[in-house]
Amino acid sequence: MATIIIDCKTYEVPLGKNVLETCLNLGFDVPYFCWHPGLGSVGACRQCAVKVFKDADDKKGRLVMSCMEPVVHNQHLAVHDADTIDFRKQVIEWLMTNHPHDCAVCDEGGSCHLQDMTVMTGHHERRFTFNKRTYKNQDLGPFLNHEMNRCIQCYRCVRFYKDYAGGKDLDAYASKNNVYFGRAEDGVLENEFSGNLAEICPTGVFTDKTLKEHYTRKWDLTMSPSICQHCSVGCNTIAGERYGALRMIHNRFHEKINGYFLCDRGRFGYEFVNAENRIKQPSINGDVVERTELETRLEKIMKSAKVIGIGSPRASLQSNFALKTLVGEDNFYHGVSDHEHDLAELAVRILKDGPVRTPSTKEIEKSDAIFVLGEDLTNTAPIVALAVRQAVRQDLSGEPEKIHIQGWQDAARKNLQQQRKMPLYSATIHETKLDDICTSANYATPEDIARLGFAVAHCVDHNSPAPEHFPEALQVRARSIANGLLAAKNPTIISGAGCASSAVMKAAANVAIALHKNGIVVGLTYTMLECNSMGLTMIGGHRLSAAFNAVINGHADTLILLENDLFRHGSFAEVGDFLARCKNVIVLDHTKSDSTDRASVVIPAGTFAESDGIIVNNEGRAQRFFQVYESTESIQESWRWIINIGKTLQHPKLQTWQNFEDISKAMASEEPMLQNIDEVNPAVDFRIVGQRIPREPHRFSGRTSMHAHIQVSEQKPPTDDDSPLSYTMEGTRIQPPSAMIPFYWSPGWNSVQSVAKYQHEVGGSLKDGDSGIRLLEANAASSLVYFQGIPEAFVPLEHHLWIVPTYHIFGSEEMSAKSASIQKRIPTPYLLISAVDANIYHLKEQDIIKVSIANISYSFPIKINRNIPVGMAALPYGLCDAPINALPEWGIVETSPLTELHDYVRKTKVQH
Amino acid sequence: MGKKLLLEHINVPGIETFEVYRKQGGYASVEKALKTMTPDAVTEEVKKSGLRGRGGAGFPAGMKWSFLDRKSEKPRYLVCNADESEPGTFKDRYLMEKIPHILVEGMITSSFALGARTSYIYVRGEYMYVIRILEKAIAEAYANGFLGKNILGTDYSLDLYVQPGAGAYICGEETALLESLEGKRGNPRLKPPFPAIAGLYASPTVVNNVETIAAVVPIVNMGGDEYAKIGIGKSTGTKLISASGHINKPGVYEIELGLPVEEFIYSDEYCGGIWKGRKLKACVPGGSSVPILPGELLLKTAKGEQRLMTYESLSDGGFVSGSMLGSGGFIVYDETACIVRNLWTFARFYHHESCGQCSPCREGTGWMEKVLHRIEHGHGQASDIDLLVDVAKKIEGNTICPLGDAAAWPVASAIRHFREEFEFHVKHPEKVVNPKHFEITPFVSERVAVIG
Repeated sequence: MATIIIDCKTYEVPLGKNVLETCLNLGFDVPYFCWHPGLGSVGACRQCAVKVFKDADDKKGRLVMSCMEPVVHNQHLAVHDADTIDFRKQVIEWLMTNHPHDCAVCDEGGSCHLQDMTVMTGHHERRFTFNKRTYKNQDLGPFLNHEMNRCIQCYRCVRFYKDYAGGKDLDAYASKNNVYFGRAEDGVLENEFSGNLAEICPTGVFTDKTLKEHYTRKWDLTMSPSICQHCSVGCNTIAGERYGALRMIHNRFHEKINGYFLCDRGRFGYEFVNAENRIKQPSINGDVVERTELETRLEKIMKSAKVIGIGSPRASLQSNFALKTLVGEDNFYHGVSDHEHDLAELAVRILKDGPVRTPSTKEIEKSDAIFVLGEDLTNTAPIVALAVRQAVRQDLSGEPEKIHIQGWQDAARKNLQQQRKMPLYSATIHETKLDDICTSANYATPEDIARLGFAVAHCVDHNSPAPEHFPEALQVRARSIANGLLAAKNPTIISGAGCASSAVMKAAANVAIALHKNGIVVGLTYTMLECNSMGLTMIGGHRLSAAFNAVINGHADTLILLENDLFRHGSFAEVGDFLARCKNVIVLDHTKSDSTDRASVVIPAGTFAESDGIIVNNEGRAQRFFQVYESTESIQESWRWIINIGKTLQHPKLQTWQNFEDISKAMASEEPMLQNIDEVNPAVDFRIVGQRIPREPHRFSGRTSMHAHIQVSEQKPPTDDDSPLSYTMEGTRIQPPSAMIPFYWSPGWNSVQSVAKYQHEVGGSLKDGDSGIRLLEANAASSLVYFQGIPEAFVPLEHHLWIVPTYHIFGSEEMSAKSASIQKRIPTPYLLISAVDANIYHLKEQDIIKVSIANISYSFPIKINRNIPVGMAALPYGLCDAPINALPEWGIVETSPLTELHDYVRKTKVQH
Repeated sequence: MGKKLLLEHINVPGIETFEVYRKQGGYASVEKALKTMTPDAVTEEVKKSGLRGRGGAGFPAGMKWSFLDRKSEKPRYLVCNADESEPGTFKDRYLMEKIPHILVEGMITSSFALGARTSYIYVRGEYMYVIRILEKAIAEAYANGFLGKNILGTDYSLDLYVQPGAGAYICGEETALLESLEGKRGNPRLKPPFPAIAGLYASPTVVNNVETIAAVVPIVNMGGDEYAKIGIGKSTGTKLISASGHINKPGVYEIELGLPVEEFIYSDEYCGGIWKGRKLKACVPGGSSVPILPGELLLKTAKGEQRLMTYESLSDGGFVSGSMLGSGGFIVYDETACIVRNLWTFARFYHHESCGQCSPCREGTGWMEKVLHRIEHGHGQASDIDLLVDVAKKIEGNTICPLGDAAAWPVASAIRHFREEFEFHVKHPEKVVNPKHFEITPFVSERVAVIG
């Protein structure tokens, strides 16, 4: 700790921080632009100037940039001294010389950091009377608008995009007061985290294009704390609605998960909520029916039928549990393919029973060595990929500290670091976006990835089984990976369901356990395919194939399908046959799918925006998302529909449930793995000084007129029986608990930067701690032994391709793929094959290959890749009408190969 | 006749070739240093010589060398700053163009002293023909065993490279130069860390001006003490002055520091007096970034002492009544010069060359240029003058690198000494319509008299 004197008052503050952070933590409003808690200091904008004095007798002092000035003991500072105030005012005047002052028509207006800082410094008189410079804007693709005239050249965008996120196509061009931030030419911003520019930019240069499609001022939104539903990481988001449409997804700071950033799928995938193919009315056999009729018909069906229920990895715990309760444990089936389920169950088992802890993404960021097995993280769990990048960017050499350069001195550290990186080893089926920072990137089939993993584990601990007939060249590689991991203090092993191989996941577990046995604090992360894969596994349920059998055998005739398109989890023929055999197919879902097309009864479920629920992320963290708005009377949470059905059937349990809390409590008492689930957030009757937490900011406008075209008198707002939040602007102005922050705002801080006021210290955890409850902790007394069952090495088969799934951030996830902006980024379907195989079959890029998978012929345009193993092909999940869930599977190539070349390659294969 | 150390053999035919240069005693310092001295001894000689950085800041070169982190396990680098871009400064070009081998020799001796095994000469892109001259000289040095492995049979090896810049003034700032040399955008770095600790490729680095490195040659040859005898006080040795402007004999002159300014201007050995028999109005003595001085303050300090060509004497009186020796870009103005127009030209340059990294310089230089353009073209307002003073004051000292100061000082000093001229432009717009307005009718000031 240090004693410092600011404006003649003494404060006790920690050492190791810069003066700006320290001042902000103490509550001083020091304006800033280029500094960002996630990015550190570069001292470029000169906005955060304060005065530092030599000692108590020094009356003159000198101006310093507070973001570049380390805190030292006995430091005399002035924040509110005439010279500094004058200088900070001048900086704003400089920045404003070319700023267009188009706040009234700017998307950022009213929630703009530049506006806030301008007001904060007190600059109001313009002395610059010349023409302003103007720029040409670029078309940056479907996610972001570009309005360079507003730019104040803080360099935050390139620092985030290039340094933090590893992007390559955004840069600073030209010089003087003509610096241009953009691409070399018009075109889509390629990086998967580009959307963060809308939040990183302190003014309106980069703004959310999807919001502009249906623009509303950000304070006119009804907002709720939400959880991203588009992958298993569970990033915290703020979702905002107006006029019955979801308008915007914003980052909600969570120190342990997503920090300040979201991926583009999470930010822009929300548009499916507003899509045309939403189910808005209940229907029976294709005819829209009234709610009462629906209930009568359902009652009739249910009473006379043998009902089974199929859950969903994208539905909340509450909905799955309600269905399980309605149909009974014996009749509840998880709604994923057996293979998918086995992978998720394996992950839960390893993390629950094993000795190795699964880390948060924040902890991954701090790892000093990472080994990724089989997972293309940028496409399956983007925020984990971003965390991996931060881990690799760390400089733990001690060199900066030796010359007194501190962690926040971003520019100096970057310069000192040069090419030095933390070790990242990866073994994937093809190139990934993390290859540019890999110490060693290995490309292999899932079997060979697993074998490499097992070999690494064996090198770390010889009690771990070793693969047989393992080539020496690979052994050398395995040894070097093992040595890298053994040299680390807190390495992380990352794997997941991505390459659909339990062997890969087991190999990852063995590596982690072996390191653990060496006394190393190792983390083990498994990424899953869907947002609630972990939660569904914890609830349990029978296998999907058993559901198929139950109907075939006549044990059941009626199916309730919960928020699930079964065709994504089983073969087209099998699922089609299954649905056809059911007498009644009752589907609860929010969006039309092949499954709803085959349903006799379709019930409109709410999306995450219209629902309350809890989902469990890949870290095993249960998190609550809150309903943002009630769209129509017919659209309800699935669990609420199920409660209603239960009531009409006078179900003993269901009829006692009234709200979200009742289900959660029942779940906590009945589900052994979800014992604390009712404590994920404060109780429904939680109030702050007797008041609810408003979903609408006090600046919300048009309340009395927004429904005037329907009814002149103001409608009564809906009441929320499921949470302590209100649907109005009335309520407490005190900061809510961290799990229930619907929006960030603080006096004078109208932009996203106001999150600092909700944190213990700027950039640190939220005042109330991190939200969510971790359900999976390492078992210290673990009896988990090393996994055996090492697969044989992959051997290519003539006329065959071993087809494995691959993923795309845009397109592979079901719901985000229905978002209009995301759709513009979805690649066309393809089959990825090696250059060698392309030669064998005499194919060029984009030529059509005919492959028969499970006796059905498919045609795909091919993409040729140098690094993908020979004899293997990768098929992108969700992009083509192919039985992805059946993969990996051999495909018989029906395109005739070129014999001569083939002979040549066969020889090399044998050698291999 | 002053002593010539750098330009002694400038007029020897063929001096740009190795053969002739060697015949004139060239590369003696390399032989002496490598064969008879330790690196520390060479550094010690440079310290004793009192040599001050010739690039503009005048920081003692020996001291700069001693800051180099010699404990680091990383390679050490010597980088020669040949990005000479300051308006009014052209001495380095002259030296490199005429006697390239003196720079190569200085690089070898200095690299030896610093323990650098790889050294670079970073040359501004506009000097492309000079780069060819240097490369030829380096090739000759390699061919004659003065560069490469085991120089002169010793265990010292050195590789020397020439790197062209892309033509940005900012890349003459040492850390921006290093960024550029590393292949990045030439934005100055924040200090600390200083280049002596973490410079090129995060390794200990010394960046020296061409003339500084060339001066190491005579220092080693004659000994630091002997060199220190030339000059006055802390301004030792000789200095190249790029004299330009309204004088009879513009050019590069090597002077012994301590020469009276008056003698430098009026002596036939140097500038040869003001041209066309006109009177001396003002002078920028150290390159465009240093404060301008009216004639009377140029020849005599505010205290009435004779002004000398030394770091101390020229800065006597601080910025109120003094200036700086800077890089030795000596620009002389006769009575017909328009201070406002001259300042606008400078401001235009600094605006154009701002890297755009930090706000005061990026926005302030452009603003000052616009205001000066307006005043010069007869559209100024009375408030513009104070506005300029205010903007310049806020830029000064508040930027990442010295370019902000370089842009602010000329503005502040011009208005300090020649405010009447600015007011004249504002009050009589019709009289400044012609760009050559003061050539037709020289401005007569009530406060500052012209000399002569």
